[in-house]
Amino acid sequence: MKTKSILSHLMRYLRRSLPLLLLALLLAGGSVILQILVPKKVGAAIDTITGPGEVAFGALWGFLRTAGIFILISACCTWFMSILLNRVSFRVVRDIRNDAINHITRLPLSYLDSHANGDIVSRVITDVDQVSDGLLLGFAQFFMGILTILGTLTLMFITNIKIALVVMLLTPLSLFVARFIASRTFTMFRAQSEARSRQTSLIDELVGQQKIVQAYSYEARAAEQFNECDKTLCDCALKATFFSSLTNPCTRFVNATVYAACALVGSFAVIGGGLSVGMLTTMLMYAGQYAKPFNEISGVITELQNALACAARIFELLDEPLPKIQTENDSLPEALKGDIRFDHVAFSYVPERPLINDMNISVNSGMRIAIVGPTGCGKTTLINLLMRFYEIDSGTITFDGLTLSDIPKSFLRRNIGMVLQDTWLSDGTIRENIAMGKPDATDEEIKEAAKAAHAHSFIRRLPEGYDTVLGEHGGGLSAGQRQLLCIARVMLCLPPILILDEATSSIDTRTEWKIQDAFQVMMKGRTSFIVAHRLSTIKNADLILVMKDGNVIEQGTHDTLMARESFYKTLYLAGSREA
Amino acid sequence: MRKLLRYMDGYRLRAVAAPMFKFFEAVMELLVPLIVASIIDIGIAQGDRGYIVRRVLLMVLFGFAGLAFAVTAQYFSAKVAVAYTGRIRRALFSHLGKLSYTEIDTIGTDTLITRLTGDMNQIQNGVNLTLRLLMRSPFIVIGATVMAFTVDKKAGLIFVGLIPVLAIVIFAIMLVSIPLYKRVQERLDRVVSALRRNLAGVRVLRAFNKEQAERDNFAARTGELEKNQRTVGAISTLLNPLTYCIVNLAILLLVYVGALRVDAGHLKQGEVVALYNYMAQILVELVKLANLIINITRAIACGNRVQSIFEITPSVVSPENAIPVDRRQRNAIDALSVSRSLPGSEDTETVDRGLQITDTSDDSFIPLGASSGSGEFIPLGALPDTENGAFIPLGAPDDSEVPFNRFETDDYQAFLAGDGINPEDGGTERSLPTDSEGPIISYRDVSLRYAGASDNMLEHINLDIYPGEYVGVIGGTGSGKTSLVQLLPRFYDITDGSLMVYGNEVRDYDIDSLREAIRIVPQKAVLFSGTVRSNLLWGKADATDEEIWDALEKACAADFIRALPEGLDAPVSKGGSNFSGGQRQRLTIARAFVSDASVLILDDSGSALDYATEQRLRQALHSAKDKTVLYVSQRAGALTSCDRILVLEDGELVGNGKHEELLETCPVYREIAAASGIAVEGGAR
Repeated sequence: MKTKSILSHLMRYLRRSLPLLLLALLLAGGSVILQILVPKKVGAAIDTITGPGEVAFGALWGFLRTAGIFILISACCTWFMSILLNRVSFRVVRDIRNDAINHITRLPLSYLDSHANGDIVSRVITDVDQVSDGLLLGFAQFFMGILTILGTLTLMFITNIKIALVVMLLTPLSLFVARFIASRTFTMFRAQSEARSRQTSLIDELVGQQKIVQAYSYEARAAEQFNECDKTLCDCALKATFFSSLTNPCTRFVNATVYAACALVGSFAVIGGGLSVGMLTTMLMYAGQYAKPFNEISGVITELQNALACAARIFELLDEPLPKIQTENDSLPEALKGDIRFDHVAFSYVPERPLINDMNISVNSGMRIAIVGPTGCGKTTLINLLMRFYEIDSGTITFDGLTLSDIPKSFLRRNIGMVLQDTWLSDGTIRENIAMGKPDATDEEIKEAAKAAHAHSFIRRLPEGYDTVLGEHGGGLSAGQRQLLCIARVMLCLPPILILDEATSSIDTRTEWKIQDAFQVMMKGRTSFIVAHRLSTIKNADLILVMKDGNVIEQGTHDTLMARESFYKTLYLAGSREA
Repeated sequence: MRKLLRYMDGYRLRAVAAPMFKFFEAVMELLVPLIVASIIDIGIAQGDRGYIVRRVLLMVLFGFAGLAFAVTAQYFSAKVAVAYTGRIRRALFSHLGKLSYTEIDTIGTDTLITRLTGDMNQIQNGVNLTLRLLMRSPFIVIGATVMAFTVDKKAGLIFVGLIPVLAIVIFAIMLVSIPLYKRVQERLDRVVSALRRNLAGVRVLRAFNKEQAERDNFAARTGELEKNQRTVGAISTLLNPLTYCIVNLAILLLVYVGALRVDAGHLKQGEVVALYNYMAQILVELVKLANLIINITRAIACGNRVQSIFEITPSVVSPENAIPVDRRQRNAIDALSVSRSLPGSEDTETVDRGLQITDTSDDSFIPLGASSGSGEFIPLGALPDTENGAFIPLGAPDDSEVPFNRFETDDYQAFLAGDGINPEDGGTERSLPTDSEGPIISYRDVSLRYAGASDNMLEHINLDIYPGEYVGVIGGTGSGKTSLVQLLPRFYDITDGSLMVYGNEVRDYDIDSLREAIRIVPQKAVLFSGTVRSNLLWGKADATDEEIWDALEKACAADFIRALPEGLDAPVSKGGSNFSGGQRQRLTIARAFVSDASVLILDDSGSALDYATEQRLRQALHSAKDKTVLYVSQRAGALTSCDRILVLEDGELVGNGKHEELLETCPVYREIAAASGIAVEGGAR
């Protein structure tokens, strides 16, 4: 992403706050100029203090009063400016994040599936913060720094050209010193971060799997490994810490030298006439302050570059094209019946690797369809297409004669209930989780659903019952219990079409056995797609889809498929031998 | 935090030297305004250019000395900070090795990892900053005040009045804003968690048409965050303008007072300039100090967290007079099977459970405990002389001599026949196996309750397992299968009852030797980065390649390892991610095979294996007669060939017998079997 386009993106967010931003810059300018003028007034005041009995109190008062007013106004300007900048930057952060979630909730799953969650989180959280810190606050600092340097230089040149030249030419030395040290320590820091990441990954393994370490009495050997790694880290850390901490003393030394030079040239100028002691004091004060913005600016520039990179990452996400928004279809029925057809459907996740070539399925309302096949055969893909998580490349899918593209996604999904192998629960109470599909469900309904899913008994035993709050990963519950909740979630709002993708994979065989009854009731009169490994479920299906390498290679009932030498027959025989 | 200070031992001198050199540097800086004053009051006043040059050179000299002092200080503080943190880190790491499963469960490994990584960096940074900068600021502030007094006492009073005012303002702002920052952090966490759920739960949320609700919820959270950020921002941004204001107004006062003093002849113009310079120095340092304190508070918080980990005493430790599990005890059965091939022992008979025992009726004295290599002995280490009550001091750690003893074969036959010799009748000498040579493992009324749980996980388990048995364990999710087997290597301590292994309470053994004798293959197949060999050596550090290949063979892993170009030296990446789930599982099983363990526990370890492979594995386990095997599984089909199957339900042992028997007698087992579709074929229903 080019800098120009990043900035134009950013401008979109800043437009609303532009007046505030301009006002903030104005205040910043005022604050800086007044701050520069204060030492000048103080210097002038000092000039009135020449010796015993010679102090011109009237003039002194005047200078001090002006300085006092400058100080007060400048402080107020600084504060207001900070408040305004904060307001703008927090608002921009909020707006970008809200846009991001709007985008994320609309992005096709193909994008989300192919991007690590952690990466997206870091874009929306860390990167956005960096943008506001770096671009806005950094920009303000940069602006004020430049203004301070220019203002100080101007005043110095007006007061005394020689001193101004000395300061202007010598001060960049401290920058060079800082750069020099930074470039030398860069390799040390890299060595340190390499050593650190090696150690972190060792810790991840050995502490993360502490239980296995203990089971094998590996503690002593682990500690040995760790200590060795730690020694390297300590060596690297010492070098990096020490050498990088040389920057400040070195630049301080350079600045002290500049200060001394300034004192020398200044004193000679005072003796030669043309410069007063007060002016010399002012100049020395400037000389001391002049170097500071330079150090800040060099930091700010790195920060700005960093912020631009972060902005590029977040705007890249926001520029990701969204699928077309579907127009509402008024000719929709109340609910779907569940007649589903796949006509010459082709689909692939990546264009180079075709997956589904020509899929033809015809399913009537109320049928029970079992999907079987080895791992990776495309069962999940079929579900992705049914739920319209992914768009097909060609062919048509129809529900009750309606083409998929004519059915709004929300309507389609309201008509399909699914229980997946992945037992994701939202971070909320158990009640909220069960009621996800029907937020207005009564307590009675929720309990009924939980009972039907055989989840009621364990929920009841939890300290907070239905109000137990689940952590981010459904914390505290076993995989089986989580799966029971997922089943209860669907039990509560039984839609006409069901998808059960290994819905009982984490449940022990005995509970699974009990739950089968509930499933039977649930599936009655509903079109149900079942991915299962249980032979009895498969055997009783109205239609068996045998999938391999993404395609349906055989379909029929158990009996018809067993009647010939089918792939299904081989699968079935292997499976029953195991049983 | 205080207890962590003992890791400073040996660095104390350097820890003092660092701020001391910082102090010298500050003195150098504090002298500069005095030099400037003398330049103005003497050099300029008298027009003495030579004097000015000398003074300026002195300034440069002081600057250089300051640099030298600073570099020394930086070195000492970096050295102390790095070395000190390294010590704590290594101590913490080895402390973590001592924690038992209960503590790991309560704290969580994620927390432990943070303590070792992020927190340590914060501590190192905190120590470094403290030694380097925390001292510098007070030195300069106090130093500047002292210098001001040496210049003029009345003017010095302004400094004395100003410092507390500044300190109060800075600390008041910090005090107010720190809790507010915490709230901002909480709000940010809420935004992050809302974002995460939209990514992790995208399929479910979309399936339930929750997009709009999620957008609204997220916007509410970001709005909340923004509000909090604004509040804290308004307060914290007050710091700079306020301190600027106070110090500069004080400067004006100083100049005014200075003017009065000069007018009265007590002070010179240059000295007023010096006072002005001192005041300016104070401002810079105070603001630095405020930022520093935030960093250091953070480091102290980390230090306290780390210390709280150090303060945890492990709940499972070896007792003081721990008994090592003797090699001979472990190999008792091993030796038995060796005896099959002993010369002159043609007269052997096969006993139940596949064990063979030499008929020694013509020689009733059998020397025990001899190494199997000596050939002539039947080294049944664990068996005492039941007749005269003499015990073989197997447990004694100093037992290096081969103890000779004898036993009545008939008794042994009796126990092999399962003719209960009650293990609790045995001797009271705890270091010695008694009549309990019968079962290798025996649970007596064992109950287990996990820390923080309200109910028992296991209830009154009574169970004997005999050497060489191949025992299946089955039961529903949460029925206590894993808990049952995890008690054996003492991952958890039993809450009630008694658990004996090799005739002694599990608690009396040295933990390491116990865990070497009882190997468990955990549910989750985890490998460690390194090579295949380095992973397999976990089981036994000095295992030969032959032993490793043998283990791989048994675990059905030899084929695919052989197919790798590097063989045993093939790299294993973190977690073993470069192997498939099934391969990983086989490697973890092989890891357990590479050991002299006599008890092998497979905790649902065959779940990722395909049918044929699992069957081969089971055969391998079956034929390993020298090992007692506990095979935990969810699948009834995997257990039908076991010598015995234990059925657990809600933490109770509800079935204990052969597959066919259980089908008859145990309703829970019948249900499980029926659910797996076995019972029908078995014809028992």
